[in-house]
Amino acid sequence: MLFNSLPFFLFLAATLVVFVLLPRCVRWFALLVASIVFYASFGVANLAFLFAVALVAWGAGLLTASDRQGVRKAALAIGLGLVLGGLAVLKFYDFVADEIEPHLGIVLPRLGMTAPVGFSFYAFMAAAYLIDTYRGTCAPERDAGKLALYISWFPKILAGPIERAEPFLKQVPARLRFDPVLASTGLQLIVWGLFKKVVIADNLAPVVDGAFRIAPYASPMELLIAVYFFAFQIYCDFSGYSDIAIGLSLLFGIRLMENFRRPYLAVTTAEFWSARWHISLGHWFRDYLYIPLGGSRTGLLRRYGNVMAVFVVSGLWHAGLGYGVGWTFLAWGALNGFYQWAGLATRGLSRRLGERLPGIAASGWLRVLRILLTFHLILVSWIFFRAETIPQALTVVRRIWAALPGLPALAPRYPFTADHAIGAALILLLLAVEILDERRPIHERLAAAPVALRWSAWYACIFGLVLLGQWQAQTFIYMQF
Amino acid sequence: MDRVIPIRTEPRAAAAIWFVGIGLVIYALLFAGSEWLVHRNGRMNPIYKIDATRGDVDWVILGASHAMPLDFDGFNDEMERRTGRKILNLAGPGTGPLYNRFVLEYFLSRHRTRNLLYVADGFAFRSPMWNEERFSDAGLLARTPFHPDLAALLARYVVREGVDPRALADYVTGFSKLNNRNRFRRDLWEGEASFDRTFRPSPSAEKKRADYLYPPVDDEQAGRARYFAAMAELIGIAARNGAKVTIVKMPIPLRFKSLLPGEAAFDGSLVALAKGQGVSLIDWTEAMPDPGFYADTDHLNRKGVTDLFEMHLKSVLSGDRSPLPF
Repeated sequence: MLFNSLPFFLFLAATLVVFVLLPRCVRWFALLVASIVFYASFGVANLAFLFAVALVAWGAGLLTASDRQGVRKAALAIGLGLVLGGLAVLKFYDFVADEIEPHLGIVLPRLGMTAPVGFSFYAFMAAAYLIDTYRGTCAPERDAGKLALYISWFPKILAGPIERAEPFLKQVPARLRFDPVLASTGLQLIVWGLFKKVVIADNLAPVVDGAFRIAPYASPMELLIAVYFFAFQIYCDFSGYSDIAIGLSLLFGIRLMENFRRPYLAVTTAEFWSARWHISLGHWFRDYLYIPLGGSRTGLLRRYGNVMAVFVVSGLWHAGLGYGVGWTFLAWGALNGFYQWAGLATRGLSRRLGERLPGIAASGWLRVLRILLTFHLILVSWIFFRAETIPQALTVVRRIWAALPGLPALAPRYPFTADHAIGAALILLLLAVEILDERRPIHERLAAAPVALRWSAWYACIFGLVLLGQWQAQTFIYMQF
Repeated sequence: MDRVIPIRTEPRAAAAIWFVGIGLVIYALLFAGSEWLVHRNGRMNPIYKIDATRGDVDWVILGASHAMPLDFDGFNDEMERRTGRKILNLAGPGTGPLYNRFVLEYFLSRHRTRNLLYVADGFAFRSPMWNEERFSDAGLLARTPFHPDLAALLARYVVREGVDPRALADYVTGFSKLNNRNRFRRDLWEGEASFDRTFRPSPSAEKKRADYLYPPVDDEQAGRARYFAAMAELIGIAARNGAKVTIVKMPIPLRFKSLLPGEAAFDGSLVALAKGQGVSLIDWTEAMPDPGFYADTDHLNRKGVTDLFEMHLKSVLSGDRSPLPF
């Protein structure tokens, strides 16, 4: 029951009707049932994982509020061990066994299974809850059902945002209501999220998939187009999901955190990861890994180590999200870690240059240049994310790199197709919207615009979905683990 | 933590109604435009062909894609010229007897035919994929012109035959037509582009094709029984409307034939059906074993249909040599 499928729209309509008809005090329970039904639609057996994580989080969460420090620590350790250990085992055990078996010369048993859809996300939500209750920044939830709703909330269970427990739980049940203003905002987010997913991402996907499938034989131009298209495919796929999740939650009065903020307009890779791309995950790593490791308050070497540790773990977390489990994700994480190192190493230099040449430092052209540089660094890292193996990623990089000097001459002769033209047009449209949004939020612009313009924009989105949407139930990239 | 900021304008019921109303008008206009494109670019869709036909015909050809080369690149006109018969080929890619019956019912609501040539394939008589599920195929729906009586017929198939109601919803709303990426292209089946090609035999391609045609099914026996019953009903409908039915099996390369599972059992059931219904059955499966007659793994190319017509089909269509009924 994907967000972009008819059964989901029917499910949503039924859930909304029940929600509105019920008294407010029991609405949370209806939403819990709906969330369980939604998750069960991806396989009833998946519920065992969901219930196990919710139960562990609930039990260990209560114990972390104990007066005895030993009990609190043990509850946290056991809770995190079960949730994150389970995630690690389900994600990597079979892969690691495949890798080391030839070296050990023995046959290792296999799990023969992977974690269910969304596990990476709700395991991190449960872990965040446990750490927050241990730290005292979130009161332990005594009602197992409400905690289960936080973990299983259907709009976010498959691919986030990795919402924190405290802001979510304080909305339940007090704010569970159908508010026309919130619902209107929610519908707008749902339409825009669907547009990004079904129109932009899914129209770019065939070009990307086609080129990566034949990477060793594809022309460098084809690979280059695929790499650019993939950057926008994954952005629209994932941020589209987040927009829909946030919009769906608003229909029920629940506000979720922002997860994307025009990431390809970041001026540094540090800004990209900390404030613009998958913000909820970035904050998770900042709060529960980087700072506990010492963050930036330790010595220089330790700080570099902490940064690399965060990105390598982030790479491991992403393994399995869409393109299998392999070394490519480690390479992707490490490459982004190197970007951060480079940023840290040159930060002093760029600050001094900025002080000496304030006019240039503040110029719009330099900003554009930095945005382009950041975008292309991220673009290179996406090759490792998308490729199925390291050799395939290196093949793509090598073939594009070798052909770069000749590309300007090759481009006019390249047989561009309608798919390329549609993809490029959609990317330009997205960039135009994002640039406008960066200068002044689109929702403010629309609210201030004449009704004809505002409605035209929404009709364009809605009929874009009808005319150009790829509705053949393409799954979301980030929910495939 | 950053929160989504709600819009500042309070939605009003009247504005919402206007928004939806204008949206419906735009949708209706787009629907009309898509319908116009369906007619402008129509060619292979059986419903389009029925619409485009004037008067009654001598032969209707039904079946799956193996029957389609008979209408590629003007070959149907050639057959009409050579036989002096009016022939309408209503075969569709991957369509089994249930869908064929649906097409025949619609045809008979508007025209008459004296004969029906049914091209039978084993794969089409075992899986819902080639029957009930074909009704929901977006590619097929995108090229099917809208008619209220066809919608009513489809509704009957939803109720009686278990066709997915989404197929009806799609057809009535025209969604697949509006959502058709190939809306500006002519309705040509991909096989027509390779009509003049000669297939170079490839075991892996043949295996892949056979696997595609014969997907795993829950209960093969039940499937066979269901679709043979659909076929019997199709024959009955034709007979009640005065059409004489001839069932044929089209030629396929020998090696491809050997890959088809349960073909002998299917042949047996087909013979029994033909005998039971009193219709003719001609098996040309092994009539043209040479791979040079084929454009791909199992579809005749121009040389193939030309030879088939000259050697076998012409006499059947022209009525010179009517096959004997069982």
